[in-house]
Order: sequence, then C-alpha cells, then structure tokens
Amino acid sequence: MNFNPSDLQGVLPALILAIGALVLLTSEVFLRASSALASGSGPQGHSERPAGADRRYQAWLAAVFAALGLWAAVAQMGDPAAPLFSGAAVTDGFARVIAAVVCGALVLSCFVSFGYLEALRATRGEYYALALFSASGMCLLGQATDLIVIFISLEVMSLAVYCLSAYLRRGQRPAEAAFKYFVLGSFAAAIFLYGAALAYGATGSTRLADVANAVRLAASGGSPAGTTTLLFAAAALLASGFAFKVAAVPFHMWVPDVYDGAPAPVTGFMAAAVKVAAFATLVRILVGGFGEPSVALGPHGWQKLVVWLSALTMLLGNLLAVPQRSVKRMLAYSSIAHAGYLLVAVAAMAGAQPRADALEGLLFYLAAYGATVIGAFGVVALIERKDALAGAGDDLSSWAGLSERHPGLAAAMTLFMVSLAGIPPTAGFMAKVTVFRAAIAADLVPLAVLGVLTSVAGLYYYLRVVVYVYMVPQTKAEPVAGGHLIAAGIALAGCAALVLWMGIQPDTFARLAQSATTSFAR
Amino acid sequence: MDFLQSHLLTLVIFAPILGAVIIAFLPRDEGGQHKGVALLASLLTFALSVPLAAGFRPAARGFSFEQRTDWAPNLGFSYHVGLDGVALLLVLLTTFLGPIVVLSSWKYIQDRVKFYCISLLVLETAMVGTLAALDLVLFYVFWEAMLIPMYLLIGMWGSERRIYAAVKFFLFTFVGSVLMLLAIFYLWSHSAPPGQLRTFDYVALQAQMPSLAAGTQKWLFLAFALAFAIKVPVWPLHTWLPDAHTEAPAAGSIVLAGVMLKMGTFGFVRYAMPLFPAAALQYAPAIAALGVVGIVYGSLMCMAQQDLKRLIAYSSVAHLGFVMLGLSALTPEAVNGAVLQMVNHGVSTGALFLIVGYFYERTHTRDLSQYGGVARVAPALSAVFLVVVLSSIGLPGTNGFIGEFLILIGTFTSTTPLGNWGSLPRGQVLSVLAATGVILGAVYMLWMVQRVIFGPKRRAAEHGMTDLTLREWLTVVPLLAAILLIGVYPQPFLSATRVPAEELIQRVARPRAARPQGAGLQRPPDPDLPGAARAEGER
Repeated sequence: MNFNPSDLQGVLPALILAIGALVLLTSEVFLRASSALASGSGPQGHSERPAGADRRYQAWLAAVFAALGLWAAVAQMGDPAAPLFSGAAVTDGFARVIAAVVCGALVLSCFVSFGYLEALRATRGEYYALALFSASGMCLLGQATDLIVIFISLEVMSLAVYCLSAYLRRGQRPAEAAFKYFVLGSFAAAIFLYGAALAYGATGSTRLADVANAVRLAASGGSPAGTTTLLFAAAALLASGFAFKVAAVPFHMWVPDVYDGAPAPVTGFMAAAVKVAAFATLVRILVGGFGEPSVALGPHGWQKLVVWLSALTMLLGNLLAVPQRSVKRMLAYSSIAHAGYLLVAVAAMAGAQPRADALEGLLFYLAAYGATVIGAFGVVALIERKDALAGAGDDLSSWAGLSERHPGLAAAMTLFMVSLAGIPPTAGFMAKVTVFRAAIAADLVPLAVLGVLTSVAGLYYYLRVVVYVYMVPQTKAEPVAGGHLIAAGIALAGCAALVLWMGIQPDTFARLAQSATTSFAR
Repeated sequence: MDFLQSHLLTLVIFAPILGAVIIAFLPRDEGGQHKGVALLASLLTFALSVPLAAGFRPAARGFSFEQRTDWAPNLGFSYHVGLDGVALLLVLLTTFLGPIVVLSSWKYIQDRVKFYCISLLVLETAMVGTLAALDLVLFYVFWEAMLIPMYLLIGMWGSERRIYAAVKFFLFTFVGSVLMLLAIFYLWSHSAPPGQLRTFDYVALQAQMPSLAAGTQKWLFLAFALAFAIKVPVWPLHTWLPDAHTEAPAAGSIVLAGVMLKMGTFGFVRYAMPLFPAAALQYAPAIAALGVVGIVYGSLMCMAQQDLKRLIAYSSVAHLGFVMLGLSALTPEAVNGAVLQMVNHGVSTGALFLIVGYFYERTHTRDLSQYGGVARVAPALSAVFLVVVLSSIGLPGTNGFIGEFLILIGTFTSTTPLGNWGSLPRGQVLSVLAATGVILGAVYMLWMVQRVIFGPKRRAAEHGMTDLTLREWLTVVPLLAAILLIGVYPQPFLSATRVPAEELIQRVARPRAARPQGAGLQRPPDPDLPGAARAEGER
C-alpha cells in the first residue's frame, strides 16, 4: 500500500479528534503529578473525596477539539470525492456529513457531561479522551471502504464506548451494562468478521469496490455458481454485524440494559453518534458494496432482508416501549424504534432511482434524531443526577410536576418528545417527511404504512412523559440536584434550537444532505 | 401599505403567535398582563382579518390574497397561502371567536395563566394557517400543530378525566393524520417524472391529479378521508369527541367545537374531494349515509345524556352529520348550505359551550339533574341560552335554519352523486331521514332548556347563580349578533361560497359538463319538500 501524506487531509476530522484525545491523556500525566504534589495525598481514583476542580478544563478542551473536527468536516463539504490510502477509505460528501453530525453530537455531549460529572464529583481524566477516541472511530467508519479498515474503526469506536458506559463504575448497573454490551458487541464483531471472510473468499479482496465489481459480475451471470450464494451470505452477515450496532430487532437485546445502566450523557452520545456511524457503515457496505440494483432488489437481495428487519424493529421497538416506566428505558426502546425508521430509508436505497431521496432522508433523520436524543438524555441527566450514584433507576414519578419546578426544563423535554414523535414544527417531523417520502417513492408502501402506524404507539409513550411533566401534580417539590446547570442549559438550549431550526427551516440541512448524496462515492 | 396588502394573510396567520412571543417574555406571575396581551393579540388578528372580508371578490375564481415564498426548495415545499370563499368564512369565524375565547376564560383560569394564553394564541395561528395553506406540507404542519396546544388545553385545565380525554383526542387525530401524510408523499412522488423537481404545491397538484388511476385514487382518497372524518367526526369515528369536549375547559370546548371540527369538513371540501374526484364521487353515497347515521345517532345520544357538555358534544356529531350529508350530495344548494352550516355550527355551538361554561363557573357542576329554575335567578343568561339553543335547533330567523334548509333541499334534489336504491332516489330517502334528525334536535334541545332554566329551583340555581356580568355580555353579544345576521341576511355568506361550491361540484360530479349557473339559491321554499314541512311544523 502506498502511503500518500496528503491523504491525511481527507481524514482530518478523525485526525483532529484523535489528537485531541492524546492531548487530553498527556495533560493528565502532568496534572496528576502536580496535584499529588500540591495536596500530598494518595491516588484519587477510588477515594470518595471530591475530584479536583482543576479537571474542568478537559470538558472545554474536548469540546474545542470536537468543534474543530466539525469545522474541518464542514469546511471540506464542497470538495470533490476522492479515494484515500489507495482505496481503503474515501472522502466524500457523505463521509463529511457523517463526521459533522458525530462532531456536533460530541460538542453537545461535552456540555451535557460537564455538569453531570461535576455534580456527581466524577470528573476523572479518561472520560473526555475516551469520547474523543470513539468519535474519531466513528468518523473513520463513515469513510472506510475496506472491510478491514471498517473493522478497525469499529473496534476503536466500540471499545471506547464500552468503557464510557461503565464509567460510573461504583454502581452495580453500569458494570452489568458495560459487560453485556462488551460481550454482545464482541459477538457482533465476530459475525461481521465472518461476513468479511466470506466476502474475501468470494472476491479475493476486502475492498468494497472489488466486492461491488464481483457483485456486478455475478449479476450478469459471469461468475461461478457458488459465488452468488457466498456473496449473499456475506452481505447478510456483514449487515447483521451492524444491525447489532444500530440496535435493530432481533439484535436489540443489549439496548435497554446498556442505555439504562450507562450515565445519561453517555447514553445520549451513544444513541446519537454510534447510530450515525453504524448506519453510515451499513450504507457503505450495502449500497457501496452490494448496491447493484438488480441484485439488491432481487429475490434474495438485501432489500427484503432490510425490509423485514425494519418492520420487526419498528413494531417491537414501539410496542416494547409502551409499558416502560423508566424514561431511560423508554428512550432505549424508542431508539430501537427509530433504528427501524432509519432502516426504512436503507431499504429504499436498494433501487437506483429513489436512492438519492433515501440517502438524503437517512442523513437528515440521523442529524435530527441526534440533536433530539442528546437533548432528551440531557434532561434525563439533570433529573437522574441524584439517583445515579445510588444506582437507583429513574421512574416517571420523579417527572411529575416538573413544569412547576423547572418550566424551562419541562418545555425543553416536551419539545424533544414532540420531535421524537415526529410532530411539526420540529426536526423529527421533517426527518419523518424525508424518510417516508423516499419510502413511498421506492414503492415500499406497506412498510411506510406500518412505520407511521407504529409511530402512533410512539406518540402514546412520548405523550406520557408530557403528561407527567405538565398534568400530574408534583409529589416532591425538590429541585433537580446540584449546581452546574449553566453548561447543561447551554447544551439543552443548543439542542432545542437545532430541533426547532431543522423543523422550521429545514432547507439548510436538506441542502447539506443533498450535497452528500450527489458526491456519494461508490 | 403595499407590504401590508401583499402580506395581509400572513399577518393574520402570525399575529396571534406574535402575542404569544410577547407573553413568553412577561413575568410569570402577572396573570392580568398575560390575558391582556392575549386579548389584544386576538383583537388585532380579528381587525387584520376584516380587510380580508372587505377586499374579497366573491366572483373571482381561484385563490385570493395569495402569497408564495420559498420555504424549503430543496425539499420541494414552499410557503404558499391563499383563501377561497370557504376558507375565508372559516378564517373569519376563527378570528371572530378568538377574542371571545380569551374573554370567556378571564375569570375561570387562574392557574398557569401564561402558558394558557400562549396555548390559545398558538392554537389560533395553527388554525388560521391550516385554512390558508396551499402547500400540502405547510397544511400538514399547521394541521398537526393544532394538536399540541389543544392537547395541553384539555390536559392541563380540563376537569377530572382530562388526561384520558387529552391523550385519546391526540391519538385518534394522529392515526388519521399519519396515513394522510403518506398519501401526500404519494402525490409528491408522482407529481413529476423521476429525476425532476417534484412539488407539494396544492394548485399544481390539483391540476394534474385527476389523471390518477381510479384504484390509486381510491386509496389516496380513503387516506385523506380518514384523517378528516376523524376530525369532523363522522360516525363511527366520533368516540373521542364527547370525552374531549366534556373534559376540556370552556375555552377549549369553544375552540374545539367552533373551529377545529370544521377543519375536517374543510379538508373534505379543499383536499379529499377535489384532488380525487372519481373516488369522491364513488364514495359520496357512503359518506352521505354515514352523515345521516351521525345525525340520528347523535340526536338519540343527546337525549340520554345527563351531562350538559356531553349533550352538546353529541349535538355536534349530529350537526356535522348534516354538513357531511350536504357535501356529499354535491348540488349547489347542498354544498353552499353545508359550508354555511359549518359557520353556523361554529357560532351556535361555540355560543352553547360558552354559556354552559358560564353555568359551570357559577355552579361547578354539569349534571343536568342539579339544574332547574335558572331563569328565575339569572334571566338574562337564560334568555341568551334560549336564543342560542333555538339557533342550534334551526329556528327560522336564526342562522341554523338557512344552513339545514339548504342542505335538506339540496340533498332531496341530488341525483347523480347519490344514485338510487331501486327506483327510489337515495337523496330523497336520506333527506327524509335527516329531517327526522331535525325534529329530534328540537326535542333534546328544548328538553334541555326546560330542565335547565325552567321548573323549580334546584341546587345549581341556589348557589352563586348570578346573571351575566359586563365581560360576559361582551362575549355573548357578538355571537347573538352573528346568529341573527346570518339568519336574516345570509346572502353575503352564500355568495362567498358560491364559486368554490360550483368548482367543487363541477370537478367531482360533472367532470365534463358545462359550467353550472349557480342558480337556485334564491329559489323560494317549496312547500312539498320535507325540509320546508318540518320548518313549518317547528313554528
């Protein structure tokens, strides 16, 4: 493989994030020494005493690096698509939008995390570095066009997220959540690797471009009999690996426990950014590798697979969310449901004609869902602060009468719930418009009908939060725990502004998403 | 001034929300200020809508006060608004009811006033926007934006079972709407060949949609019709309505009955029928039949109610059954009458809920058995109540008479759209059945009046039952004036709807026929017709 230094510019967002992580880790070394000298005490890790206030800079530094990554992604937005590292990765509009959404999610999450960690006195060195590492893996996932590179990026992202979800390690649930996530995540990675091996066996290469050529050859009947079967199996296994990451049914078992056990800011970041990266890769593999329309739409094509996956995911995700009394678990199941809606867009990409619509819809939906869900978990983070260390779960009753104690918080939560339910004038509605109209244009009418009908169930459980916030009288008059509300306030205001902006003036984002579809390198 | 002229409709749409923004920045505890600003904003909206009425030329085809601006060109939708005669009347009804609604709840709402005023104003913007939108996405945005403030109004300021009613209301409406949304997407995806810029623009879509295959039209029509039928509500989709009306605070009930239900019938006139004429014609008899079932069923349910608000809620089902019957009869009289009846129902039922709200404020009960003898304690309130009830029954000289009469006469003479049962024209059968609903209406309404204001004084009349205050007079007088004005001089209202009604009929019932003359509105009542007979009988 030839290494061309100028290729590094193509992975600039990922590079910036990785450098940021290293800077944070390095700064920690100096910090430990100086604080140990100053206070003359032993190691800080497990002690109950407050973590030093001197780590606050880490949140801001991480946010700055994330913002730089966002800037890098946006600045390159108009550039032409180009292969990097002799075809192992690519820089195109699609990858840049993915990177921009990931970095934007990280910026917002840094703000949410800051107040949360400070209030719980849990600011330790590795949190923001891990977040930056995972985001760097996500950006690379959006660019990777080689199965090996995909796998490496996947692991960079996943390992960091496993650690983050166990971050409040003193509780029992975080440990369980992280362990579950890790074991099942490794299982999914193995499935993915198996698929990659099959693809290599069928084509002799791990490059998606070579896979695409082999698929095209197989479609025209120019390859040995077994190759086609092998390719289908490979596509199914590769897709399954990422169906786990996007939390599609039946690969969703880990989601409620992990979302519930992880600290709320991490959950928000996970729901927004991991989903973005995983869907980006899914699209790269299915459309970039196996996207030949005659194959994708064929009797054994992946469209049927994705349609079933999507239908099951929408149905079960929404129905299982209905009985939940913990807002975090409800949002976990809602995240499954939203994966189902996003899979509708993926299914619509099988045909050549509506592919641009569907890609646009997918990107818009990912951005809208990201802004909404980080905001929603940001509010959850404020509510659950007190219970988080005790290891108790949150319950709807702690939301009762929130509007009387914190009208701003109540209004923000309502906005996010309305957006998740897909009601105008919010981002969630415009996202629904872009995805479902692509599905209709792709003649996936039954799937779209199922989608909107399940969203009625969705409305029910989102409204229940609003009912508790506004209509059930409060049981306890205590305000939310701890100070540091300003950072969280900034993050929530940012999310709310984004949600409204995308809902009322969606054109800016639609234009970005469209530019990504025009320069989607295959 | 030029700006004002060209943006008049937009100003009317967004004036209430401007008030809401101002209220949002006022201090939380200043309830009086919030109500004051809300009143001013709604009065301003009404004042702005008066030039709409003055500048409207009823003979013009197409849309007046049209304005079109890019909204999201990359997504294919634009900010396109305009009014035809039907929409104009309903916009005026909305802005007319706006200040009344704010005034009516002046004393009753003391809790979370700020949020209440904001909800009312946002709701008004959404309602006017729904009526004015000429882009399907814009329409849908306003259509669903109505739900949230209404949901909050019911859920936060309603009575005991408010949460159940609010959620039911939201879910019912939402089920219908989402399928309509998919139908809208289908129209979009077929509005241009693949690869070209597709559109959500109503005017553009209307021009090309009749070319759709009949089978496709059928499904699309059903998707739209379901959304609207739930809103109307057409029997058997009405079950959310008694709960929502009963549990909502008085202002919520007024808005719900006065304007929001009309969004459903308006949707039929504006979208479901003209966009899919073949399917609309095919389903006209079914819808007419459902309308008649609604009339009879609603009237019978009214007789069984012990709850004042629930009774009026069921009377809405009956009244809107008339509107649906008139729309599907597709004769000029019937359609004109149906549109006028939308306005009438808004005024009369709005007034009924207003007065029942005043009863409730005084007595804190809606139970009919608690009432009796109110006329002795509060004569003016009782007199107003009686007048409003009579208009709701359709007494000649009030607004209700004109609408119901036109609908019945139009249905009786309707031939092609409704077809025949054997040798019997369905129109005649249906109008006879509907006329029994009118009689039932007189029965339950007069019975209600009798139980509430006459007879011996009961508990409700003993405790705190006072007569109308000045503020309450201010809310009642405009409604009474409207009732009598439409009853005596309906011509301006009918001439506003003449052209849209013609266009609708021509599109749906007579795709290839020559332009109809729109005559027959001034035709004297034919004594042989059941409609006229029942009007005689009532006197």
